[in-house]
Amino acid sequence: MALFGAMMVITSKNPVYSVLWLILTFFSISGHYILLNAQFLAIVNIIVYAGAIMVLFLFVIMLMNLNHTAEPKKNRWVKLAGVVAGGCLLLVLVAALKDTEIKQQTAEVATGGIGLIKNLGKELFSTYVVPFEISSILFLSAMVGAVLIGKKD
Amino acid sequence: MNALILSAVLGVIMMFSGILLKQKSAVRGVAITGLAALLLVNILELRGIHFFKIDVAGMMYFDRFALLFISIALFATLVYFILSAKDMEKVGADYAEYFALIFFIICGIILVASFKSLLILFLGIEIISIPLYILTGADKRNLKGNEGSLKYFLMGAFSTGLMLMGIALIYGAAGTFDVEKMKFAIETPAVLPVTGMLLLLFSMSFKVSAAPFHFWTPDVYDGAPTVFTSFMATVVKAAVFIGFIRLFDETFGTFQVKWQMWLAVIAAVTLFIGNITAVFQQSVKRMLAYSSIAQAGFMLLAVYAMNTSAKEGILLYAAAYSLATIGIFSVLNKLNDYTFEGFNGLAKQQPVVAGALTIFLLSLAGIPLTAGFLAKFFMLKSVIDTGTGLWLVIFAVLMAAVSVYYYFRVIQAMYFKEGKADITVTGRFKWALVTIAALIIILGTFPNILINWLYF
Repeated sequence: MALFGAMMVITSKNPVYSVLWLILTFFSISGHYILLNAQFLAIVNIIVYAGAIMVLFLFVIMLMNLNHTAEPKKNRWVKLAGVVAGGCLLLVLVAALKDTEIKQQTAEVATGGIGLIKNLGKELFSTYVVPFEISSILFLSAMVGAVLIGKKD
Repeated sequence: MNALILSAVLGVIMMFSGILLKQKSAVRGVAITGLAALLLVNILELRGIHFFKIDVAGMMYFDRFALLFISIALFATLVYFILSAKDMEKVGADYAEYFALIFFIICGIILVASFKSLLILFLGIEIISIPLYILTGADKRNLKGNEGSLKYFLMGAFSTGLMLMGIALIYGAAGTFDVEKMKFAIETPAVLPVTGMLLLLFSMSFKVSAAPFHFWTPDVYDGAPTVFTSFMATVVKAAVFIGFIRLFDETFGTFQVKWQMWLAVIAAVTLFIGNITAVFQQSVKRMLAYSSIAQAGFMLLAVYAMNTSAKEGILLYAAAYSLATIGIFSVLNKLNDYTFEGFNGLAKQQPVVAGALTIFLLSLAGIPLTAGFLAKFFMLKSVIDTGTGLWLVIFAVLMAAVSVYYYFRVIQAMYFKEGKADITVTGRFKWALVTIAALIIILGTFPNILINWLYF
């Protein structure tokens, strides 16, 4: 279903449909995460990507008001070059994945408890509590900055 | 740890003081007092007095090197506040918020100087960068400032992405963020850590504006309000260098052969581009931007050499370079004309200011008896101590000779050209300048008063 959704994203003529198919893809990827026992990642994936970022995408596309006439004509050589470049990337990725040592460990589906929210929270508030608190300074300074920039003179 | 917590608290205090205090001089007083307290608390920690007992799970380590650097950075910031805090009023209406952002940056500086975990390094670099993007664009009516801010933000975000990718790859290879626990094989380093190391090298080079990654520097330093350029080009840059050194010493120390050549080339190119381009500048502010690139090239020699004299030298370099550059920028703030002609006849009008300025420029050029000379000397000595890279030393000396040309152009304009420099300074400002000039000469004659703090 993820593959089907991804294919539909690039084959749809209308960009709005593409975004909708992309949402479907994200949901099915979240399904994969749940199968891998990573609940937290699955939920965050839906909230952040399917929720927030896709809404932004839709807004931008609707504001830009894309239609068929606006699409620039590409010549055949550009398309060919795109196919060759994409194919090369695929080749490199497959070759790299083939050689990794992680292959033996992938059988650990639905057994490891590392992705459960309970364990994540324990780690976050015991070992990683200092970086967690420090990141609050980061967000505070970002907020001050946003107000400073956005304020009227 | 003392200074880290206090600086975060002070940032919040500054935000509230913007609402509670009506007068700008009161806000300035709070900021200067706060910073002095910060410096005091940090020196107390250097002497072994800790106020907070916090289990950091080995992610930060406040050794003498880190604490001494933090003290130098805080002292330079204090000098900067005393000299230039008044000029921040000209930038915009949000006076207290600028101080708050600077205190947050200090927080990031402390993190970068004391990290033991790549997670903390990343957080520190981000806490430094984000307020800087904002301070660059603080003058909202200035188009050049807006351009510089946007450019800095986009390029900075990109380099942060590279850095994160590098950290992720290293995590994939080592299984930990902890610098101490990383054990990379020396003979045959695997693909993952080497790729991660290169990505980190590139992103750190961007942050210190080393040569092939320096294109943002002149535009940002030129576009930003001069008061904030002064802070960006000195304290922040030195802090990122300390992070750079720690990262490559502790994390990648085992395969030094892999990156040493890369660093030598980056240092040489940085020295060349920085110095040669600075010669052709007409504006002193832009010249100082290029000169900061050139000085970064010198500081990179310490990362290349990575031995005891490199570590002592980088501390001295940070102090000498920060103090001198802050002094020059504070005078530049008072002038309306930023070209070389703006300095014409300054010596006749303000002999004290011109005299102090001359000492700062001599120190940057590396003339003996000033702190800048000894700092450069330590850098070159550290490279010679490694036994390799003699060509780099010769090249660096050659480039230092080129740098004399553009620093002396300012001195020539002040003393030997007729004109009317448009400047008014208070008596207190003059005293502060003279004190810093004296400090630079004292550091240049007795560097041990600084370096001995590392060992006692």
